[in-house]
Amino acid sequence: MELINNEKLKSNSEEKVESYTEKAIIVKNLEKRFDEIIAVNDLNLEIRKGELFGLLGPNGAGKTTTINMLVGLLKPTKGSIIIDGLNIKNELQKIKQLIGLCPQEPSVFKFLNGRENVQLFGNLYEMDKKEMQERMDKLFEITGLAEASKRKAKGYSGGMLRQLNLIIALINDPKILYLDEPTVGMDPRARRKSWEFIGALKNQNKTIVLTTHYIEEAEVLCDRVGIIDYGELIALGSPKELMKQHQAKNLEEVFLKITGRRILEGM
Amino acid sequence: MIQRVFALINMQLKKVIREPANLFLNLLFPAVLALVFGLSFAGIGFEMFAPGLYAYACIFIIMTVAQSFTDDRELGLLKRINVTPTTSGQFIGSHIVSNLILSIIQVIIVFICSILIGYRPLGGIYGILLAFVFIMLLSICSVGLGLITASISKSAGVATGLSFIFILPQMFFGTFIPLTPTTEVIAAFLPSYYVTSAIESIFGGAAIFNLEIISKLGIVALMAVIIIILGVVIFKKYGKK
Repeated sequence: MELINNEKLKSNSEEKVESYTEKAIIVKNLEKRFDEIIAVNDLNLEIRKGELFGLLGPNGAGKTTTINMLVGLLKPTKGSIIIDGLNIKNELQKIKQLIGLCPQEPSVFKFLNGRENVQLFGNLYEMDKKEMQERMDKLFEITGLAEASKRKAKGYSGGMLRQLNLIIALINDPKILYLDEPTVGMDPRARRKSWEFIGALKNQNKTIVLTTHYIEEAEVLCDRVGIIDYGELIALGSPKELMKQHQAKNLEEVFLKITGRRILEGM
Repeated sequence: MIQRVFALINMQLKKVIREPANLFLNLLFPAVLALVFGLSFAGIGFEMFAPGLYAYACIFIIMTVAQSFTDDRELGLLKRINVTPTTSGQFIGSHIVSNLILSIIQVIIVFICSILIGYRPLGGIYGILLAFVFIMLLSICSVGLGLITASISKSAGVATGLSFIFILPQMFFGTFIPLTPTTEVIAAFLPSYYVTSAIESIFGGAAIFNLEIISKLGIVALMAVIIIILGVVIFKKYGKK
């Protein structure tokens, strides 16, 4: 896969965003409280099918809590979540067949080799053996991990573990993929390669929800972004729209303007 | 469902085989224990210790289960498995099955070692099968206690230490150490006590379906059901965080 440039990805996003009509994720009045702390407050969000949506926000803003509710790991205190037309409250098992999660920290069994890890999760989705094998070969090939796939994950470098983490999230060919800080800790070269990979996934008509600290990453990859702070959605739109709205040169400036102003307001 | 459970059992057995500490505790330790006790007490009452050795090895399943669950939780693997369509029942069920397999292997190891040393259990093939049933029930108790330990432990290191809350009483009051009137009261609450005394009777040549053995089987079965339900409930409530 040849390296892509940022501008090429950006223009793809803008062309695509017009064509989405159906909703993959509908979040209404979502709230999550941990005792007295409100982690997510009255969140309303619609993510379109085939869209790459970025969830941005400072540390502790409520991004991971939101993702955890979207994948069914946490029960909302209030509000509703509809995934691909299914209500998470009573159709979670069906929803689990449709989604993939790439957690922030690589979660793999270190005593298993790369293939065994992926096979385990393929089996948890009750995939057909032949289909699983073919998909696994393809994913290992694309990520460049084929050679190391028969080595125990214990000996993998940080970057290799992240790649394996992503392969596991993709083994069931999910319609909706959640990527929680997928490139954190990667060197710039590896990050670029991951962008390429995520960009390629976008072209497979998958709905992708990406959380990231790297604003440039969101600007390059995402069709739309939502900025979340103190558990509230404070901005929503395509990177271009947000830059125009806030008269900023780039998304980072938008982010700093919005979240910085809130910090000052809170002082 | 079967594909999922088999995959999890396969993974858990690989964890035992590929992690040296697990391999030692689960498979080599029972052999070492049988050989050490056998060589130390051969000819001077090894038959008194042998039944307790079967339970002894199985008790350490508490520690390996507690470590395994806390490790998986710390590494985010429980969360990751929770995102798949795997249910808690399937996940915990796979742990029970893999530990039953381990306990059967443990019994076989202890049995072979004790035979090599000269111990000749009575009771025939049905006696041996019944002893297996007792050990399997004890193994279920150990998984349940392991789940409870994992629920109250923040890390695998803490789990190792806390598991001794359940291991030590069973080791001292429920295997081969002679009981006093006081420790006998404590032993009445320990599954390993009933398992050891039942195996003692079976391998001592008692009729295998006598009232004493059947009632002990009933008590251990009831304990296994209560402990595993308690373990699952506590782990579901507190252990996943």
